[in-house]
Amino acid sequence: MDLFPLRLSLQVAVTATALTLVVGLPIAWLLARRRFPGRDLVAALVVFPLVLPPTVLGYYLLVVIGSRGLGALGVELAFTWRAAVLAAALGSIALLIKAAQAGFETVDPRLEQAARTLGRSEWSIFWVVTLPLAWRSVLAGTVLAFCRALGEFGITLMVAGSIPGKTQTLPLAIYDHVQANQMAEANLLALLSIGLVVLLLLGVSRLARLRF
Amino acid sequence: MLSVTLTKRFPGFTLDVSWEADDRIVALFGPSGAGKSLTLGCLAGLVRPDTGRIVVNGRTFDDVAGGVHLPPQARRLGYVFQGYALFPHLTVAENVAFGLRDRPRAERRRRAGEVLERLGLGEVADRHPRELSGGQQQRVALGRALAPDPELLLLDEPLSALDAPLRRQLREELGRLIREWGKTVVLVTHDLAEAYQLGERLVVYDAGRVVQAAPKAELLLRPASEAVARLIGMRNIVRGTVVKASPDRIELTWRGHTVEAVNSPGHPYLAPAGTPVAFFVRPEYVRLIRKDRTAPDPVHRMNFLTGTIVGEIDQGTAWTLLFRLDGPGEPSQGAYDLEIEIPKLVYEILDVGRDRHWSVSMHRGALQVLPSR
Repeated sequence: MDLFPLRLSLQVAVTATALTLVVGLPIAWLLARRRFPGRDLVAALVVFPLVLPPTVLGYYLLVVIGSRGLGALGVELAFTWRAAVLAAALGSIALLIKAAQAGFETVDPRLEQAARTLGRSEWSIFWVVTLPLAWRSVLAGTVLAFCRALGEFGITLMVAGSIPGKTQTLPLAIYDHVQANQMAEANLLALLSIGLVVLLLLGVSRLARLRF
Repeated sequence: MLSVTLTKRFPGFTLDVSWEADDRIVALFGPSGAGKSLTLGCLAGLVRPDTGRIVVNGRTFDDVAGGVHLPPQARRLGYVFQGYALFPHLTVAENVAFGLRDRPRAERRRRAGEVLERLGLGEVADRHPRELSGGQQQRVALGRALAPDPELLLLDEPLSALDAPLRRQLREELGRLIREWGKTVVLVTHDLAEAYQLGERLVVYDAGRVVQAAPKAELLLRPASEAVARLIGMRNIVRGTVVKASPDRIELTWRGHTVEAVNSPGHPYLAPAGTPVAFFVRPEYVRLIRKDRTAPDPVHRMNFLTGTIVGEIDQGTAWTLLFRLDGPGEPSQGAYDLEIEIPKLVYEILDVGRDRHWSVSMHRGALQVLPSR
C-alpha cells in the first residue's frame, strides 16, 4: 500500500495553512478594524472561493501560474506540489478569514484604544491585545481551513494534476482508485481521511475547549 | 493650562466647543450625549477633530490648520475609560505594567509594584479583572493610567459603574488621589455632585456646545443662562418682566406681584423696563411666615407673597411644598408657582400638614436673574 498520498496531503495542508494564516490574518484584521475604500469588494472577494465552482477557481489559478502567466517568467509552479499548496490555500482561506474576522470583531475596540493611550504601537497591540483575545476564533478557523485544505480536490486537479508520486494527494488518490475499481485501497484511504479529520477536530476542541 | 477649540461633525450631531482652563482639575459636566466623552476622545488623540486646536501645558496635540495630529502614543496621557476597559486576559499586575513596556524589566516591576501598593491592590496583583469588585477594577484602571506617570489624566465617568454608597466613598478617595498626584486632570461626568467634589473648574456641555465654563463656586452661584440653570438642576425657574434694573438690584413683576432680586455682582444685567427675563428662586430660601408673630421684622417682609399649598413631596429629611400664589392667572410651573423646601422639624412645629394657606417671604439674595444669551 502506497502511503505517499497521505504524506503529500499532510505536507500540502500544513504549508497551505501556514500560507493562509500569513495572508488571511491581515485581511481579517483589516475587514474587522478598518474602513477603507473597496472594503465591501474585498469582503465579497473573500467568500468567492466558497461559492464558485472549484474548476472555475482552478482554471483561473492555472491561467495565473501557467505557461502564459508566472510560468512565462520562469517561475515553475503548475503541476508541482507547490501548485497543490496554492490550490489548497485558495480553497480554504475564506474559512480562516471569516472566523478570524468574527473573532477580531468581538474584541472591544476600547481595549485597543486603551493600549494606544498607554503608548503601544499598532503591531504590538495586535499581538498583545487583539490576537490573545480572539485566539479561539482564530484557532477554530485555522483548524477548519486545515481540514478543508486536506480535502481539496477540484482546484488541485486543475493546477497540479494527479501525478502519482508527485502531485497525487489523498482525495485524488481515492478518486483514481475508484476509477480503477480498486475499492479496498479507496476504502482504506477514505477511512484514513475521516480518521485524521476526526482526531484533529476532537483533539483541538478538547485542548482549547472549542465547539465547531 | 488647557486650551481646547474643536469641531467634529457626525450625521445628526455636531460637536463645536471652545474652552480654556488654568485650573488643574477640569470637570466636563452635562447630560449624556452632549459631547463630553467625544471631547475626551479628541484630547486623547483617539478621535481626529475636523477643525480646531488642542494645546495642553504648552504642547500642541492637534492643530488641524497646521496639519498637527499627535498620535495617542505620543501624548503621554492616562485615560480611565468608562467601564474601565481593563485587559481581561491579563492579571492586575500586568494591566498596571502595560504602559511601562519601554522601561527595563526591573524598573517595570518596581514601578508596577509601587502603584499597586499605593492603590491597595497588592493582595490582588495576580488576579484577573473579572475576579475583582467594581471598586477594585476602578483602582486598577486608575493605576494602569497613572503608572507611566503621564502629564495629563483623562477620566470618563470614573464612578458611574458603581453602586451609590460605594460611589460616594470612592469619590472622596479619587478626589484625594488626583489632588495629591498634582498634574492636569480632565474629568467627564453627568453627575453634578461628582463634578463639584472633584473639579475645580466646570465646563458645562449641552447638545455639542459649551454653555458655561467657570470656577465651580461661580457656576452654582451665577449660572450664566436659563439653560445652565436647568442643567445644574436649579428648581423654580420662572419668568417675569423687568421693572427697574440697577447695578446691585433688579425689580421684576411676576404673576402680578413685584419682587426684588440681587443683580449679578460683576456682570450686572441692566435691561430696560418691560424686558421679559427668567429667574430662579432657591427653594430652601423661601420662608413661611409664622402666624403667631404679629409684627414680623422688616427683613421678613421682603418679597412678601401669599398663597396655598397644593401638594407636598416627602424628601426624607425635608418636605418639598408646592405653593400656588393667590390671585388670577396661570401658575408658573403647571399646578403651582414655587417649590418650597422646609426641614421636617419646621413642618411639624408650624403644623403645615393641617394649615394650607400661608404667607411667604424671600430675601432678594434667594432670587437670581438668568439673562438669556
